[in-house]
Amino acid sequence: MTLAENSGPEWEGGDDIFAAEYVLGVLPADERRQASSRIDGEPAFARLVDQWELRFAPLASAYPEVEPPAAIKPAIDRRLATAVQLPSSAAPSPGLWSSLALWRGLAAAAVAALALYVAVPYVNPPVQAPQERMVATLAADGSDVKYMVMYDAHSGEIGLAHVAGERGADRDFELWMIEGNNPPVSMGVIPAGASMKMPVKQDMRDKLAAGAVLAVSLEPTGGSPTGQPTGPVVAAGDLRDI
Amino acid sequence: MKDRGAFDLLYRQTSAKLFGVCLRVLNDRAEAEEALQEVFVKIWTKADRFAASDLSPISWLVAIARNHAIDRLRSRRQVTVNIDEALEVADPSPGPEASAVAGGEAERIYGCLEELEKDRAAAVRGAYLKGESYVELAERHGVPLNTMRTWLRRSLQKLRECLER
Repeated sequence: MTLAENSGPEWEGGDDIFAAEYVLGVLPADERRQASSRIDGEPAFARLVDQWELRFAPLASAYPEVEPPAAIKPAIDRRLATAVQLPSSAAPSPGLWSSLALWRGLAAAAVAALALYVAVPYVNPPVQAPQERMVATLAADGSDVKYMVMYDAHSGEIGLAHVAGERGADRDFELWMIEGNNPPVSMGVIPAGASMKMPVKQDMRDKLAAGAVLAVSLEPTGGSPTGQPTGPVVAAGDLRDI
Repeated sequence: MKDRGAFDLLYRQTSAKLFGVCLRVLNDRAEAEEALQEVFVKIWTKADRFAASDLSPISWLVAIARNHAIDRLRSRRQVTVNIDEALEVADPSPGPEASAVAGGEAERIYGCLEELEKDRAAAVRGAYLKGESYVELAERHGVPLNTMRTWLRRSLQKLRECLER
């Protein structure tokens, strides 16, 4: 094996070792940017990176805890106030940002979920996760379709934000709820647009609250004619409590 | 901003750890403070992706902070070799905390690192904790860049084989 042969990404280690190099942090800036954009665009590569983060995670216990200066938090708050109002240049779909309320709701819900997960081990007695709102990211391998979902049990509505992926001419995206091994139940055709709300039928609300899987399939205009998905599942994900 | 409480809680619980990460990688207090702010903005905007990750919340947050700090480090015009002794962690081998908190899983990565040749294991640990680049590692070990990369890639493959056993 010559040096030239094993210096490129086509080297025998392939994507998996490239992902490991990214996680380890040894790559030069240009290759890190390359890896970073693949994480955003290729779910399979993102998973390889995730697995290496998981493998190396125990090493992070060697990082000491150092209290940051008190001025940092207000500075972050100021930045956030700006960040959530200005569209990021990396925003995949400009329309998404026009619905600030939904975006903020989703971002806040996701942060609340993280905060709860992080805080729970420190809280005594353990707190019960509030069941009011749940979030999910819907995506799938081999598909660029991505939705963010927030379910509000209180209002019985699902909020969807279209992040990426087009349905194409004469096609519709249909949303399905899958509970355990039962056949998928249609929740309706997802209206086109950057963000939308869909009401959830009463009898489906409890099942959603219990943590169902949501999936999006590609169907003929107007939705599946059979009552079951007829096209490919282009995105799916679990609803998680926050 | 809605749900400020959750964000404040998250900050209280994790900012010291994430600041420790930024400081260690960047080795510059002012830059680490700047990086920490950017990290929390990133966390806010990317938090939905946590749902798609297999990482624990704190590991996911540390990964964001580490990668951000390393990106910042790589974009510096020149590599400043300014070792602040106060921030040096002498031996990044497992502390009692590591074994106590993470148990079996944590021991596996340390066990597998021990199966590597000593200098290669040190290179892997150093790279992970300090964000050292191939260029820096090659200089320190006195080998050409491509040789360093070959070494490290082989070490990573061995690590993976060991962890999957």
